[in-house]
Amino acid sequence: MTVTAILPDGQGGGSARATLRRNFWRGVARVLRRKPSRIAGVVIIALFALMALVGPLLYPAHLPRDDDALYAPPSLAHPFGTDFEGTDVLALVVTGSRYVILTGLATALITVAVGTALGLLAGFHRGRWDTVLMRVTDLQLTIPGLPLLLVLSTVWKFEGPLEMGLVLGLLGWGGIARAVRSQTLSLRERGFIEAARGLGLSTPHVIVRELLPGMAPYIAMNMLIAVTGAIYAQVGLFFLGVLPFDSNNWGVMLNLAVFGGGALTSAAALPYLLAPLLAILLLTLGIVLVVDAMDEIFNPRLREE
Amino acid sequence: MKLSATRDGTRDDPAEPQAAPVAKKGHPVRRRLAGHLVRGLVMIWVVTTISFVIIRNIPGDPVRGQYEALIERGMSPEQAERATAVLYGFLPTGTLWEQYVGYMKALLHLDLGQSLSTPGTEVTTLLGSAASWTILPVLGGTLLSFLLGVTLGVYAGIKRAGKLGDLLTISGSLLHGVPQYVLGLLMLAIFTTLWPILPAGGPVDVEFPPGLNGPYLASLVQHATLPVLTYALASYGGWVLAMKSSVATVLGDDFILAAELRGLSRWVLFRYVARNAILPLFTILALSLGMLFGGAIFIERIFNYPGLGLLLVDSIGARDYALMGGAFLVTTIAVVIANIAADLLYTVIDPRVRTGGAA
Repeated sequence: MTVTAILPDGQGGGSARATLRRNFWRGVARVLRRKPSRIAGVVIIALFALMALVGPLLYPAHLPRDDDALYAPPSLAHPFGTDFEGTDVLALVVTGSRYVILTGLATALITVAVGTALGLLAGFHRGRWDTVLMRVTDLQLTIPGLPLLLVLSTVWKFEGPLEMGLVLGLLGWGGIARAVRSQTLSLRERGFIEAARGLGLSTPHVIVRELLPGMAPYIAMNMLIAVTGAIYAQVGLFFLGVLPFDSNNWGVMLNLAVFGGGALTSAAALPYLLAPLLAILLLTLGIVLVVDAMDEIFNPRLREE
Repeated sequence: MKLSATRDGTRDDPAEPQAAPVAKKGHPVRRRLAGHLVRGLVMIWVVTTISFVIIRNIPGDPVRGQYEALIERGMSPEQAERATAVLYGFLPTGTLWEQYVGYMKALLHLDLGQSLSTPGTEVTTLLGSAASWTILPVLGGTLLSFLLGVTLGVYAGIKRAGKLGDLLTISGSLLHGVPQYVLGLLMLAIFTTLWPILPAGGPVDVEFPPGLNGPYLASLVQHATLPVLTYALASYGGWVLAMKSSVATVLGDDFILAAELRGLSRWVLFRYVARNAILPLFTILALSLGMLFGGAIFIERIFNYPGLGLLLVDSIGARDYALMGGAFLVTTIAVVIANIAADLLYTVIDPRVRTGGAA
């Protein structure tokens, strides 16, 4: 220990960090174990990730149609029945998940990157930067998002999940920017930041090594929430039917079921509508449960009781 | 992203320190109002500029196309120019800057142009009738969920450790997390397909003559039930969670401890807690009313309810750009007004803000 402590930044810091990390994971395990529902949340999210990753590989690129089984009722061969073309609904949900989840991830990455960067910049430099950035943030928060997206869809064809994620991400960073800014404002007055700056450490070092770690859990949580938000927004846009669709995803399914398939006038088409709804509900449930657990891991006040 | 995230984003608004600098002149309330008005106007200007830019950049340039089509039909350039300007609210010719100025001038006179999909109808007329179909369900649904959520939220906040309190919190998180359209579609599937007791869509049955007669009003109420219930369910979760955390904060305040030490009865304590915890929620109430004009799109589309949201979606489907710009503008103005109202409301109910001193 004495030897490693002298080493400037090599293995010494590494082993201390490793201990911290081990304690952290032990805390995570404890929080998860206290309520089994939280493990369920983690499992659900893992399942969806797996589905998006390998799901499409399980099916042929063009799902088979079956003209003899239009709107077939749920059976062993088709657990959720078939759609208007006789295609298996479960296969549609599984293959559609990749588009949906990819968009969610892309959006979350952009939202968090832009929001954190702007929040840090505004909070750390204060003054004129802060004023300008916060005005822009307020504006971004006030313009109603969904109507703006609808209007944008007339000039911009959101082609592919990544472009969709880019648009959604650029429209959604305001909340995180504001929150990161206020966290930065309060953290920068703390002793350890002042000490770091007093030592003459560079601003990037102070921000990346000293400020960010404290905010990481908060940012992680917001990222998860951003994923959900993006998934809803995107499925919703396809459901409304304002975007041209050439690929399969849950929103397209909902749109076809409600406005094309008459899922609401005949009970026969109902499974086609309920399957994507169930998928969204389950994903929501998983994320809510995990956010609840994260809340407790990172917010020690909630842990006592 | 925004759709559900904005509500969380704006939620921390009231918590932001709002201590007004004492040195400035003028009454604090009036100064705040002036600030809000300026910001609101900037907001509206930004949005009108966005709609102008978008309409100008639509592939195929509909404005220019309309102008040229009219000339081909034998109109003189002046006539065609005037006719197109009536439709879109700005001239099809001239530099971009001239067109922009024309568009802004027309808007100042509340001239949003004419609808392209229903020729001969002013956009403002269409917006007016759609607004009335939006306002009532939004108001009804929001107030319903506010009352329910706040009452249950107090309980969830006080009995945090108990079974029922836990259950309320979970129901709140789930309903807060689920998107509006999922709730709407489930309601529709349950109450119109599986157990058909309510009408599937539209604002009213066409067979009844409009007016203050029993069958017509009953039909109105019947058709409004599902949209209103969906609004209420969709926003209920947010209220429970907000009230619960607000109650938790108030419970930690010194005056509650003092009241407990004075041996006040539970009922009095309950009133102390509830009355103080509800203050920040009024701000959210005003904000969410404005936001719902944007969020009403899904519910109106699902239940085929002819409000502003459906008008916007339909205008996009019909490529009715003048109507699209107008619907977008009205939605934004609703949000701006709600923001100002929220702040004023907070000033009225919380004297700490009114006096402008440090809270």
